[in-house]
Amino acid sequence: MLQARDIRFSYSGPVLKGVSLDVGGGELLCVLGPNGSGKSTLLKIIVGILDPESGAVSIAGRELSSIKRRERAQLVGYVAQESVVRFPLTALEFVLQGRFAQGRLLGFESERDLREAEWAMRMTETVRFASRLVSELSGGERQRVMLARAIASRPRLLVLDEPVANLDVSHQVKMLDLVRRLTIDESLSAIVVTHELNLAAEFASRVLLLKSGEVVACGAPREVMTEANLETVFDAQLLVDENPSSGAPRITLINPQISAISRQVKG
Amino acid sequence: MERQKAKSKMQNAKGAAAASSPDSLRPPFPFHQSSSGSSRLTSKRLIVTLAALFALLILIAAVATAIGSEKVDVLSVLRIISSRMTGTVADVPAEQAIIIADIRLPRVLMAVVVGAALAVAGAAYQALLRNPLADPAILGVSSGAALGAIVATVFAESLPVSRPVAAFIGALATIAVVYALGQSRHRGGSERLILAGVIVNALLSSIVIFMVTTAAGSRQRSVLSWLIGDLGGETSLLPIVALLIATGIAAILLNARSLNLLMTGEEDALALGVEVGRVKLAVYLAASLITGAAVAVSGAIGFVGLIIPHAVRLAGGSDNRLVVPASALVGGAFLVLADTIARTAIAPRELHIGVITSMVGAPVFIYLLRRTS
Repeated sequence: MLQARDIRFSYSGPVLKGVSLDVGGGELLCVLGPNGSGKSTLLKIIVGILDPESGAVSIAGRELSSIKRRERAQLVGYVAQESVVRFPLTALEFVLQGRFAQGRLLGFESERDLREAEWAMRMTETVRFASRLVSELSGGERQRVMLARAIASRPRLLVLDEPVANLDVSHQVKMLDLVRRLTIDESLSAIVVTHELNLAAEFASRVLLLKSGEVVACGAPREVMTEANLETVFDAQLLVDENPSSGAPRITLINPQISAISRQVKG
Repeated sequence: MERQKAKSKMQNAKGAAAASSPDSLRPPFPFHQSSSGSSRLTSKRLIVTLAALFALLILIAAVATAIGSEKVDVLSVLRIISSRMTGTVADVPAEQAIIIADIRLPRVLMAVVVGAALAVAGAAYQALLRNPLADPAILGVSSGAALGAIVATVFAESLPVSRPVAAFIGALATIAVVYALGQSRHRGGSERLILAGVIVNALLSSIVIFMVTTAAGSRQRSVLSWLIGDLGGETSLLPIVALLIATGIAAILLNARSLNLLMTGEEDALALGVEVGRVKLAVYLAASLITGAAVAVSGAIGFVGLIIPHAVRLAGGSDNRLVVPASALVGGAFLVLADTIARTAIAPRELHIGVITSMVGAPVFIYLLRRTS
């Protein structure tokens, strides 16, 4: 579905130093890495917001740069890290923006656009506040509305930048479960950037570890999320064992400094 | 027969409802094309709203044309206008006909055109900059246009540039400088942009005053009277200015749906399929063109671009497919009202129209500032 080959990009210094990745149909790839490792930049290149300095991205076998922007928007749904809505917009109006690429330039939303928006809002359980203003929604509600907008164009690939940041534990699980269901039921492919290692281990079909713009490892969570790999990537001491309920890797932080202090506190 | 059909239909409907009983727990989705009562903009609501606003504009313009030191009733006004349009002679005193058709009506039409231009320019800048506080006057664009127009007036012999063109160039150069100064590497550059506008505005205003002070006596008077703002001073330019402004508004209207998406962020808009670079260029050019054209004939009238789009959004939502044309109509009507007050409040003397718009606009701006921060 998605192929990226040797992607390079730099702002003032190099951000991505030759990243390659593949995402198959119906696959959920989690991109993990410390702050500043180039995760968001990678996503923006895949979506076509940034152009890579070198390297190539292709979607469904077609070179990204050869696809018109409107057509690309129909193939790829994107949820940014944050969208600030300063004007009064209802959730439904916001979700209908996801149908822009399908519409005529001046035209009004068709019956079909409304049906797809309804589908997207049912999937994300946001129908209840369709007529409320986006600016008045809670963090979890807004995050779901943003996902609804991204899937309203019925894309083949979903690109999500930290969709569970700012969510409580139950909403984090619900959000990723929804993304996984979309990959299974609608055979969507998804790329998700997150800092939640345990959720990634639980939901991802594959995991890509990124550090300083380079791929450290890529593969199934069990194979890739090892103590050695994670410690290299995050510069933190981590314990990896098996989650007793699911069998997925379970990551626990064991920072010796913190342990020493908490031992002192506990006396 | 019909009853049976109806019965069976009702049963079918019941059956369908029963079959989807798990769905009955779901909340309804009452926003389809046919349903009413939603706040979403439909083509029907757009047409009805614009028709109503257009009728209101015509009414206000007709009444405003009738008001003045020479008393003429609205009916005579309409008779004079229709006689002028058909080329016949109306049975009203010739003096009245001249006052209405050659003095008041052009001034009222100028107010409509300038008000529409400033309000639409404001709506466009607000969407482009994602800041409800943007406005051609606050961003310094009006001052830039004014400076361009004054340069064209003062150096009329050596510069073969007409006043509207010079004002357009001034407006465009100003928005480019303000935009460049307002860009920041970090996020939240929207406030920075307003600050850049305020500073550029202050600089341009001082240059304008400098030029007016040092200009030769006869030119000084002409520049000053224009700078104070007079909708009745340049009525010979009405057709060309109206054409420029109509073109600019149409260009912005063509990009209205793209502007809707730009309001939620440039990267979001790119990802959703908007050709952001092209849309921004087209709308900046169009907004600067109509600001320049308006300022060239009316001087810098403040706050219209700020309060009109905001009022429209409060009443009808943020969809630019409504905000842009409705702002044009409401802005036109507002400026006609303001100008009527300006020329009648302390008659026989005239108030500067900017005094009226600022008296309304400044409190609204403060209210907006408090609400958005």
